[in-house]
Amino acid sequence: MGYASARGGLASIIAAEELVRRERDHAPVPWVSTEQITGRFRLAVDRVMGEGGLYDEPTAAAAVRQAEGDTLEAAHLVRAHRSTLPRLAVSEPIDPDEMVVLRRIVPAMREPNGPQLLGRTTDYTGRLLEKPDGQPEAQPQEPRPGVERSEEQRRPRRFLEVLRKLDLVADQRLRDDPEPVDITRAAVRPPAARSAVLAAMARAETSGLVSLWYRSMLGPDNDIHEINLGELRHGRLPLRVRHPHTGNLVRMGEFRVTEAEAIENLDGADEDRSKLGVGYGLCFGHNERKAIAMANMDIANRRFGRTGPLEQLLLLTTDGLDSGGFLEHLKLPHYVTFRSIMDRKLALRAAAEADEKTDSRVADPVGEESR
Amino acid sequence: MTEVLSREQRCALLAEAERDELVALADECLDDGAALRVLSGPEVGIVVAQVREPVLAERFLLGDVLACRVEVDLAGQVGWSIRLGEDRVAAVAAAVLDAEAEADRPRSARVDELCRTVADRLAAREVAEWAALAPTIVEFEELT
Repeated sequence: MGYASARGGLASIIAAEELVRRERDHAPVPWVSTEQITGRFRLAVDRVMGEGGLYDEPTAAAAVRQAEGDTLEAAHLVRAHRSTLPRLAVSEPIDPDEMVVLRRIVPAMREPNGPQLLGRTTDYTGRLLEKPDGQPEAQPQEPRPGVERSEEQRRPRRFLEVLRKLDLVADQRLRDDPEPVDITRAAVRPPAARSAVLAAMARAETSGLVSLWYRSMLGPDNDIHEINLGELRHGRLPLRVRHPHTGNLVRMGEFRVTEAEAIENLDGADEDRSKLGVGYGLCFGHNERKAIAMANMDIANRRFGRTGPLEQLLLLTTDGLDSGGFLEHLKLPHYVTFRSIMDRKLALRAAAEADEKTDSRVADPVGEESR
Repeated sequence: MTEVLSREQRCALLAEAERDELVALADECLDDGAALRVLSGPEVGIVVAQVREPVLAERFLLGDVLACRVEVDLAGQVGWSIRLGEDRVAAVAAAVLDAEAEADRPRSARVDELCRTVADRLAAREVAEWAALAPTIVEFEELT
């Protein structure tokens, strides 16, 4: 087989695109508005914001609609859109202690400072599929009276502080203040700063990160030993920038995040076995799976990332666009590479057949000719 | 909220005001024929969310937040605004109101009034939010 250059396919690509647009945009069902998507599919929207690396609910909702519910494709659309936007500013460092909690649980301690606030969660409800004919009727509800609230209820002190007071946490706080790595401007490779790994995990494909976390426990790497979830929060954080005329901080508004702290038993030969290690996870929107996996992988990476493959796995294999893109590219024409493989196979076969014809020797028992 | 608003407080409240109320008041501000020039923007872009995490006190870049920024000149006074999202009209209106208040022009008291309305609304929203959340606080009972 020889190779001849060829062209073609444009008409079929246009036709395929037209099929997508027609079936998606003009399906014989009502149009789904952006507000419906943010209101009804908030967790999908939040996931796309996180994996897309851009916080804006309407943008993520538009991507979900265009991607027909495929969250990875939607994240791809959001990333592509983000790449067209100018950078207006870098926020002042955000202190997660300022979070106004919408949900906060401390699985490691029954009565921490502040509430065990379940918030909006399906964690404790049965997985019974409901198939209503339409929107369920609203239950009559009296307007709720205002409830007295304390600062500690809305901005609880974190469980980590309790552990620190008990002197149970290995204090690894930095003495210096390194500039954070911007993984959106330069590709990172191991060995990388922790800020790069945290940023990579915050944008990682959720299932990919969870899968790597699970592999760390049950797989061959054995990077995670005894782990506990210290604290999990969903809430709002303020975003502030410098005012260009006064130089003072000005608040632009709030955005929602999920935060997790994982506690790991330090038991290595070179570790202080009387202390605990804490890992940190923070991601856009409400995405508890990602935040928990991130927190566990943070502490695991700090312990084992430089001695095993973990840092490389986190940096290079959890990005959804990277992994998904590589997988998707397999669907593009590979005629030439596959023909090359075929040519090699056919050549080997031809050589073997030629050998059979020209060489009529029968294998002798070892040593027979030397007698 | 009765104290005099700083410029930063005003900008923050205008950043969370509704589009319609911003535009209506900005139109009123311009009714006297004051010259308005847009100096930059309105530009939709990203603000990088930089976080100082609490475990090692290390900064990292969480991701980007969509925002719109604009600067205007209203009768010789520069007004500035930045808001979450991509609503360019709302951002221009907020910058006009910032200039109006900063120059102490005729509608400056109305701008302050709007800011206080926004502050009250945010406070009321927070009260309602907590009223819905509070029943989900776990109350443990000791079993003896």
